[in-house]
Amino acid sequence: MSESASSEVPLLLRIPRQMGAAGIVIGEQVGGLAILLGQILARLFPPRVDRYELVRNLHKMGVRSLSIVVVTALFVGAIMVIQAAPLVTRFNAREIVGWGAGFATLREVGPLLIALMFSGRVGANNTAELGTMTVTSQIDALRALAIDPISYLVLPRVLSMVVMLFALTVIGDGVAIGGAMVAAEVLLDVDPRSFLNSLVVLLDEWDLMTGLIKSLVFGFMIALTSCHFGLSVKGGAPGVGRSVNAAVVAAASGIFILDYFSTYVLG
Amino acid sequence: MSSAHETRAPAAPSVGLAPRLLEAAGGGAVDVARDIRDILRMFARTLRLTFRGRLERRMVLEQMHQIGNRSVFFITVTMGFIGMILVFQSALQALKIVPDLTLLGATFAEILFRDLAASIGAMMLATRVGAGIAAEIGSMVVTEQVDALRMCAADPVEYLVVPRFVASVVMTFCLLIWAAFVAFVAGMITANVIFDVNYHTFANFMLVDAGDIIVGLTKCLAYGAAIPVVSAQRGLSTFGGSEGVGWATTSAVVSSSLAVIVLQFFISALGYLIFPG
Repeated sequence: MSESASSEVPLLLRIPRQMGAAGIVIGEQVGGLAILLGQILARLFPPRVDRYELVRNLHKMGVRSLSIVVVTALFVGAIMVIQAAPLVTRFNAREIVGWGAGFATLREVGPLLIALMFSGRVGANNTAELGTMTVTSQIDALRALAIDPISYLVLPRVLSMVVMLFALTVIGDGVAIGGAMVAAEVLLDVDPRSFLNSLVVLLDEWDLMTGLIKSLVFGFMIALTSCHFGLSVKGGAPGVGRSVNAAVVAAASGIFILDYFSTYVLG
Repeated sequence: MSSAHETRAPAAPSVGLAPRLLEAAGGGAVDVARDIRDILRMFARTLRLTFRGRLERRMVLEQMHQIGNRSVFFITVTMGFIGMILVFQSALQALKIVPDLTLLGATFAEILFRDLAASIGAMMLATRVGAGIAAEIGSMVVTEQVDALRMCAADPVEYLVVPRFVASVVMTFCLLIWAAFVAFVAGMITANVIFDVNYHTFANFMLVDAGDIIVGLTKCLAYGAAIPVVSAQRGLSTFGGSEGVGWATTSAVVSSSLAVIVLQFFISALGYLIFPG
């Protein structure tokens, strides 16, 4: 069908047509996200949230992602030191490697990579779960029982993701600094004490805060996209797969775009 | 197996905290070791079949389109933003020590080509390509199409994994080079607009040497090989209906991202030891 349609349309018209179609698809998703955001905010003041679901999701999303966040953070800290190593040896500035690695890790790379891992694990899983519920009409069943799916299903997930990504970023920052300290000691012979010293003296609390504020923004973005794509699944089980893929891609793009703007605003 | 579990279950409350923690840690370690062994075995088999077996040229081309062409837009957007963020952040950092940004472009080019373009681009591809491969192969497993392949004496690794492997190695390599270009141009524009750095001053490749390029390209190849193998292994070990496909997809994204980070660590460390400076 698409082949016959494309053979009728001349080449010059096909490109704007595809661009327009892509524009409509993107507009549809952004609009859907905005509506979901409005619905969530409307139920947040005053908070109407299912407490049991909230606790269950906090455990499932936060506690069970701990190991993967710790592993990621450990490597990220070490990698930042390895990347800084040629620069540091060239300028003979071993004593400020702690500052260099710490600045990049706390402000930028730590929150970003932890958010990407979180999106892959928790966000994708959430989309799959909500999507399966949608295609098996369980959301409609909730509505039929006069249970609001937003405050029963969506709001606990959104709150858990925001809170847990923040908490995991705090832990991850600490672990990443540890990883960086070990790498600096092994690779560059930097004493852990002088490493920590340059970190404490040259960084201020605002550097740490920037990263943590970013993690809140990222958590909200992951929660919003994963719930939206989960609730708007169409077309049975294959549709769930497609939606999971779209959700992960949308969350990653959203994280990068928001990262730029928050760097700009907080910088 | 089940009897061992039954005998252990009632004894659990009497066991102290330390043995239970040890048991959990040991169980986790055994699981991780088993996963790594399975992935390495799959990698060896894929590599052997790539050179020995016959290559379905149509399948490879189809996968190249799926993996490569359809990721270009995504990679362009994310890497453009990454370039802007990195330049913005490092200019702020640099302005704290020296009020002079003439070396900004040179340093940025070095770290971009050596590491960041390949690694961050590969993280992005791991989510897109990895999720796609695992979802596709996983749904073939739960609908018993893979068993049907085995019944026809077609090896699922040869028929499903090898085309994706070849396509991904080639296309990831090209995409990551494109990613470096996009990030560099976006960074150049940011430096010019926000920090008033001249384009000529920024486009300075003085610090980029052969070692940086070799390390960067090695990373491109390694990531391109790792992502499809890890995701396909996850997809082929799917069980339990459509929910299982969701789990396999999640696990493929997580494992291939972790594989990228671990490879990044080892290749960077080796690169630093071989080409210091």
